[in-house]
Amino acid sequence: MLRFALRRCGWTLVQLTALSVIIFLLTNLLPGDAATVDFNEQAGLDQVAQLRKQMGLDRPLAERFADWAHGLLTGDLGTSLVGGGAVSEVLSSSVPVTAALAAVTIVLLVPLAVAVGLLTGLRAGSRTDRVVSAVTLTLTSVPDFVLALLLVSVFALRLGWLPSTWVGADEGWWQRPELFVLPVAVLLARTVCVLSRQIRAGTVTALHAGYTVQARRLGVPPTRLVLRHVLPNAAVPGIQELARTGDQLLGGVLVVEAVFAIPGTATALVEAVQNRDVPTVQALTLALAAVACLLNLAADLVSQRLAPRSEVLR
Amino acid sequence: MEPVIEVSGLTAHAGTARLLDSVDLTVPPGEVTALVGPSGSGKTTAALALLGEAAPGVRLSGTVRVAGIQVVGDEGQTGAARHVRGRVVSYLPQHPAHALNPARRIGSVLTELARLHRPDGARGRSAATEHAAEALRTAGLPDDTATRRRFPHQFSGGQRQRVALAQVLACGPRVLVLDEPSTGLDTVARGRLAEQLTRLASDGHTLLLLSHDHGLVRAVAARTVLLERGRVTATGRTSEVLPPPAVPPPPPAAAAPVGSRSLLDARGLTAWLRPGGRGEILHDVAVRVPEGGCTAVVGPSGSGKTVLARCLAGLHERHRGHITFRGEPLPVLRHRTTRQIRGVQYVWQEVRNSFDERRTVLEQVARTAVRLRGLTVPEAEERARQLWERLGLTAEHTTRHAASLSGGELQRAALARALLAEPEVLICDEITTALDAVSTELVTAELTRLRAESDTAVLWIGHDLALVERLADDVVVLDTGRVVESGAAATVLSCPRSETTRLLLRSRHLGATTTPSAPAPPGIQ
Repeated sequence: MLRFALRRCGWTLVQLTALSVIIFLLTNLLPGDAATVDFNEQAGLDQVAQLRKQMGLDRPLAERFADWAHGLLTGDLGTSLVGGGAVSEVLSSSVPVTAALAAVTIVLLVPLAVAVGLLTGLRAGSRTDRVVSAVTLTLTSVPDFVLALLLVSVFALRLGWLPSTWVGADEGWWQRPELFVLPVAVLLARTVCVLSRQIRAGTVTALHAGYTVQARRLGVPPTRLVLRHVLPNAAVPGIQELARTGDQLLGGVLVVEAVFAIPGTATALVEAVQNRDVPTVQALTLALAAVACLLNLAADLVSQRLAPRSEVLR
Repeated sequence: MEPVIEVSGLTAHAGTARLLDSVDLTVPPGEVTALVGPSGSGKTTAALALLGEAAPGVRLSGTVRVAGIQVVGDEGQTGAARHVRGRVVSYLPQHPAHALNPARRIGSVLTELARLHRPDGARGRSAATEHAAEALRTAGLPDDTATRRRFPHQFSGGQRQRVALAQVLACGPRVLVLDEPSTGLDTVARGRLAEQLTRLASDGHTLLLLSHDHGLVRAVAARTVLLERGRVTATGRTSEVLPPPAVPPPPPAAAAPVGSRSLLDARGLTAWLRPGGRGEILHDVAVRVPEGGCTAVVGPSGSGKTVLARCLAGLHERHRGHITFRGEPLPVLRHRTTRQIRGVQYVWQEVRNSFDERRTVLEQVARTAVRLRGLTVPEAEERARQLWERLGLTAEHTTRHAASLSGGELQRAALARALLAEPEVLICDEITTALDAVSTELVTAELTRLRAESDTAVLWIGHDLALVERLADDVVVLDTGRVVESGAAATVLSCPRSETTRLLLRSRHLGATTTPSAPAPPGIQ
């Protein structure tokens, strides 16, 4: 187990290194750069060239990469080409918002999905299963923006119970929990369904497995049987799904951010790409990629503990 | 003495079929009672009824009382049955290794069971831990913390069976019900099992042994109940009920003439389990199958027989050494040509997972002939059906899916699947463990026929030495991954030179050497 964990952590480091190279190269492929965006059409070519020199964009690729990588390792993410502030400031204004949104969603998602998954899995084929499955499947097939607009029109515009937008909540967003209700509801609608389907499938399999039958024959009472014998096995596919959900929530819930005007990472990233603000794009992408790697690492370690047999089945 | 289990008029219906027909059975405390019958005679149905359990679609009626608690009445199972499970009656299923939860450390499950069922278990963790340790010791495993913190996959197959037994013992039951515990055990392990059952009975446990293994029953059971197609045909002391041990049929007169050139040849074969050459399991093994010949590989469980078969079949890639087929080097499976794949076919032990649930078994069996020999689908199915019937499967089985066939039926289907490739050499890995005597006879007859008619060579892996004696020309004895002895079957089995062979031979006649009252002979340890 320890050996597996160390090896897996080592690989994550390699992945992150490779990612940083790829991200740097890809952002350099973006057409145009900050110098061309910053200037209006009247600016002469020599002026653009001068600006490029000023921004250090004319140096060879390798040299710029070495600079950037050195900055990364020392915690300096560089200076935004637009506005001139530190990139870390852009990050610190957008990442907490998205992180808070994702955290609230996941905290509600896990118990809800486990409960729905167990409920439907334990009674697979029953009326409860069919009704709950129909509802969750319908919710997944409704696009996020439709559901978001629907909720806004009912709860914000007609009933007036909840705010429809984050505009104006700039600094104090974390003190106003009502802001979270609608976005989280939209995010939950899809993720609960996907995750609970995984847990349902796992439950059905584990419920008919030899070890569950034997535990029942040895007189393990029903509740205990489900929680201690079925769930650990049923959760394995769910854990991997949860990791994917986690990085989707952090990386790109653009539609939800756009509808509710949430100043999160997706919005920041789109803005930075439009402005050709390469250092910001690089930093944001790398941060999101790192989170994705770490989430999957955590999911792998948890699954390894829950289903240690995968170690031998290679 | 008051019997622990009283069964009277137990009847089980599945649809219109009658699985059990007014079965009467009493089990007195403190001794071993055996329920004996061929596979399909209703032994498991009767045993599960003791737990107040029936398979889906099976209706029970009659009376079953366990320690005075009625678990089955005329209306089927009673609600009181759940107080019996684990605490009074513990059931060990036929393939106990499947009964272990892969996600739980064995110690945590043992402690959990002890806390649930032992009167003092609920009081504290330490009492339950002590019961768990004792269960491990009784099952013949070490009871230290390191063992208890291991997961089921970290034990060998034989140890997993003992872990399952420890789970059963941790409940502290009055009655142990063991379903075919000797399935798949080699003769040495079977001897050990017999010894263990005798010890459990002398410790005051009541045992009900379900088996078709007459040797084991003779060795351990004081009383025997014979079950035939759901009816009790005889009850009484084991020596009076069971027919005397059958005299093994004489070896057939010299089979097909054996070519001297080798067809499949492995030399210097070394194999390991984990990457980077760690966990070496075969050390410098040499095996040779001559043209039209039959070579048997025998050895105690865990000696590397299956890994050897998988190396030859090209499935185990972590090996080095020279494997040649018709004088040409034989690569691993994914680099083999169609001719080589067709020429070397492998039938293994646990075949259920190799059948697709969505298509009929016959369709999948016929597929081999379509893919490897280019027959049309109707032609292939016709061939499959012929072979199918020679192996004792009926036309009714052809439309069924894998889930509705028994282990023995699927095993024969898997053999048919391999044979439809018309292989030049067939590797059979313990293919008769799930079969009763009649089916085994059909399978060996088919192999004998193939060797005579098509000159098919066979590599036979098995623990049934009587069968090896009848089938094989040559024998290779493996122990802990090394060849300890090899040569002509008659020579090796009649005058063994190695200790392993002697031990295997000595423990083959269980019933003849041990009696219920006497301790196991010193040779079996």
